[in-house]
Amino acid sequence: MERMLMTFLVLGSMGLMAQVIDRTKPPATPPIPAYKLPPVYETRLGNRLAVVMVEDARFPLVTVRLGFLAGNKFDPPDLPGLSEAVAALLTQGTQSRTSRQIAEELAAIGGALNGASGPDAITVSGSVLSENTPKLLELLADVARHASFPEKEVELRKQNRAQELEAQRSEPSFLADEKFAEVVFGSHPYSRIAPTPQSIARIDRKALASFAQTYLVPNNATLILLGRLPARAEALKLVEEYLGSWQQKALPAPPKPDFPETRHAVYLVDRPGSVQADIHVGGLAVTRADPDFFPLSVGSVVLGGGGSSRMFLNIREKKGYAYDAHAILQPKRDAGDLAAVTQVRNEVIEPAMQAVLDELKGMVSDPPSKDELDRTQNFMSGLFVLRLETQNGLATQLITAKLMGLPNSYLERYVESVRAVTPAQIQQVAKKYMAPEKAAIVVVGDASKISKPLEKFGTLTVSKAN
Amino acid sequence: MKPISLLLLLLAAGAVLAPAADFTIPIEKFKLPNGMRVILSRDNAVPVVTVYVIYGVGARSEEKGRTGFAHLFEHMMFEGSANAPKGMHDKMIESNGGVLNGSTHPDFTDYYETLPSNKLATALWLESDRMRSLAITDENLKNQKEAVKQERRLTFDNRPYNTAIVDRWPQLSFRNWQNYHSLIGSFEDLNAASVADVAKFFKTYYAPNNAVLVIVGDIQNGAAKKLVETYFADIPAQPQPQHPDLSEPGKPQPKQEVYRDPLARVPGVVIGYPGPARRSPDYYALNMVDALLTGGESSRFQLDLVKGKESVIQYEANLGWPFAGPSDYKAPGDYGIFLLYKPNFAAQQIVDQVQEEIARVQKEGVEQKELDRVRTFLRLSRISQMQGSLSRAQLLGQYELFDGNPELVNTEIGDFLAVTPAQMQAAARKYLTPERRTVLEIAPAPRKRPAGAQKEAQ
Repeated sequence: MERMLMTFLVLGSMGLMAQVIDRTKPPATPPIPAYKLPPVYETRLGNRLAVVMVEDARFPLVTVRLGFLAGNKFDPPDLPGLSEAVAALLTQGTQSRTSRQIAEELAAIGGALNGASGPDAITVSGSVLSENTPKLLELLADVARHASFPEKEVELRKQNRAQELEAQRSEPSFLADEKFAEVVFGSHPYSRIAPTPQSIARIDRKALASFAQTYLVPNNATLILLGRLPARAEALKLVEEYLGSWQQKALPAPPKPDFPETRHAVYLVDRPGSVQADIHVGGLAVTRADPDFFPLSVGSVVLGGGGSSRMFLNIREKKGYAYDAHAILQPKRDAGDLAAVTQVRNEVIEPAMQAVLDELKGMVSDPPSKDELDRTQNFMSGLFVLRLETQNGLATQLITAKLMGLPNSYLERYVESVRAVTPAQIQQVAKKYMAPEKAAIVVVGDASKISKPLEKFGTLTVSKAN
Repeated sequence: MKPISLLLLLLAAGAVLAPAADFTIPIEKFKLPNGMRVILSRDNAVPVVTVYVIYGVGARSEEKGRTGFAHLFEHMMFEGSANAPKGMHDKMIESNGGVLNGSTHPDFTDYYETLPSNKLATALWLESDRMRSLAITDENLKNQKEAVKQERRLTFDNRPYNTAIVDRWPQLSFRNWQNYHSLIGSFEDLNAASVADVAKFFKTYYAPNNAVLVIVGDIQNGAAKKLVETYFADIPAQPQPQHPDLSEPGKPQPKQEVYRDPLARVPGVVIGYPGPARRSPDYYALNMVDALLTGGESSRFQLDLVKGKESVIQYEANLGWPFAGPSDYKAPGDYGIFLLYKPNFAAQQIVDQVQEEIARVQKEGVEQKELDRVRTFLRLSRISQMQGSLSRAQLLGQYELFDGNPELVNTEIGDFLAVTPAQMQAAARKYLTPERRTVLEIAPAPRKRPAGAQKEAQ
């Protein structure tokens, strides 16, 4: 028989009296509770592998991340997509295990391991039922150190990636992101966001293995272990056992962080038949380590973050030009980019573009009011805490901070830093990064329908969607 | 009043549980005099709280000529109420660092706010105000009809596969109109909806006695209970709504059809088999069969079809697909499988390959090693699902609404783990046969324009 853990109780009979309240006003509430990140333990192995551990015993789970500075920006110029392919294939075979064995051994322990690549880093993410943590570390070490890129797996991945790329290229938003990155980052590898059919065809075992041997080394890596962990000494012993003998290696110099100044012009990607125009307006912005980061981050949310932002209220709610209108700041390790984004029907391209430019201009001429800033700072502070509810959420924050080369104080003082931003600071960074007369304008749409009205906004260059 | 001592409050912040126990979600359940059921689940680790309200009405409650109405109504819930005018709900939650949303399902409609825990009262004030005094005006209705149409264009009409799945698939797999009509609705029916319809729907279904309120996260039960009573206790109850007859007439028949999709570039196929009653022994057995076939990287579909035959690119499958998951599955519903496959295969080959995988279970049963894997997979999924306050609240609310028993959140895993190989084999034989199978092939239609055929997008 099941235990009776609950009963229906009618509250009225319990003598709890309802408070008399004024329903016409939002309730008065206590101040936002202070929250400190759980203690973060850090060390380095003899081979320079950085190790971070956080105890969170609420659920019998352990979450891991193993991050390497080995992202897309390290791709050779003729092989865009190599880092991405390495990441995807790490778990598809090692010197001693087939992909099937890896999958079955992981399944047996309630574990998962997946590699993914971004602009700066490859991250292997995993989780496991906590009692099987040692076995997960063994498998993690195997895929990170001994991935063998079996011919058959490489072939299958190439076929499937070619199909995915085809699907991606049918999405106007992908074409817009692609052109925007090209315009903003110039000759830096950040300018390439995906492989090409040709590079997919060229990628082979040799290139994959050589990339992995070069960049997947302990002195280029950070390990995060988080959850219901073994006792500290035991956990450290496990890490040493599986990753301690991994040899460090000298790393090649990373690509030079040279970025062009954003040029004010209109770049139209012709997508015949498109009934909507995808608009990106913006340019080069900052990294998280830059003193301008927090003012710009808060400013970009005032401009276009969430349902109370200026772009949302004006372009969507008031003018009705679009379903989506937002701004996004994407800080990477060496630079960032900021874009105001919306998708509008062809007929309103001209007033909608003007509205986007006006909102950018408004950030320079009308800094946020006290109330607008308060709301935005609350929004950002609250979301930050919301993201820490799960092990995945916390692990993602930690590995991102580490891979971006940020000090621990970045996360510890995030809320404080957001709240310290002033309207004057926002206005100042808006002049640098949001001024419409300096912004690049990228549009994806049917050139026969929208190129005429776009000519008004700057020198127009039309390219084909290929 | 003393706090009720029946509760297991093991999860004080960061408390370490005995390693043997996976976890126990603390539950306190009570009912207000107006019939509203309330579930509190405390977890003080992170200063976040989720307020989740689930109403016992969904798209399957709709009447003929009013397809899409439950969803249209869900939109109306964000259009303001007596004391929180239009726009205030979003603004109050977002400006306090929270997130919010609502969603419409076949058998329920739900709303949530997840926000910093000091703002619990704010969320309760907003939820109670719209339950008590929704602003039902002609202007709001007109406005939301347009918003829903726009949503339909963007989410369904302008994207591959979705129209086939939302409109055509149910018509093929069900015979009772209540089950097969479009859940997103036709433009014609949306246009026909009147303010009187909205008012009637609100009064009938959005009553406290047809709702469950769940609060999960950083709360103290006594104080939370008091707030709930303050905000909700005097909302009047209504007569208990009647539920429509959802039963499917006759026996399942094999059906097969081709849908030509101008937006699809990669071919797809949907395969479905009518499933058993919720929480019946067969339900647990079939969920275990599903995990065997499609759960995780070492599932049979992954190893034999994506690898192995290299025919399938991606797949998804579950009891209740496409509109429900195992936790909110309610018969009649399908065990549905949706696969995308390589263009050098024919749909029939994929259907045959899937049926062969099923036939292996039917003939050979399941070995201990695979059974262990499936059990571990289910345990892991369940534990992972418990981490966020929102997903915990959803499960608690659904268990209360469907089963009257939120404690299943802690105990139901036992029902899954108790399934034997013989039961899995028997369930596969009983349910997953070609004679009961519906197949919808989604074939890419030739594109007229180079950039992909598009319908009017706005």
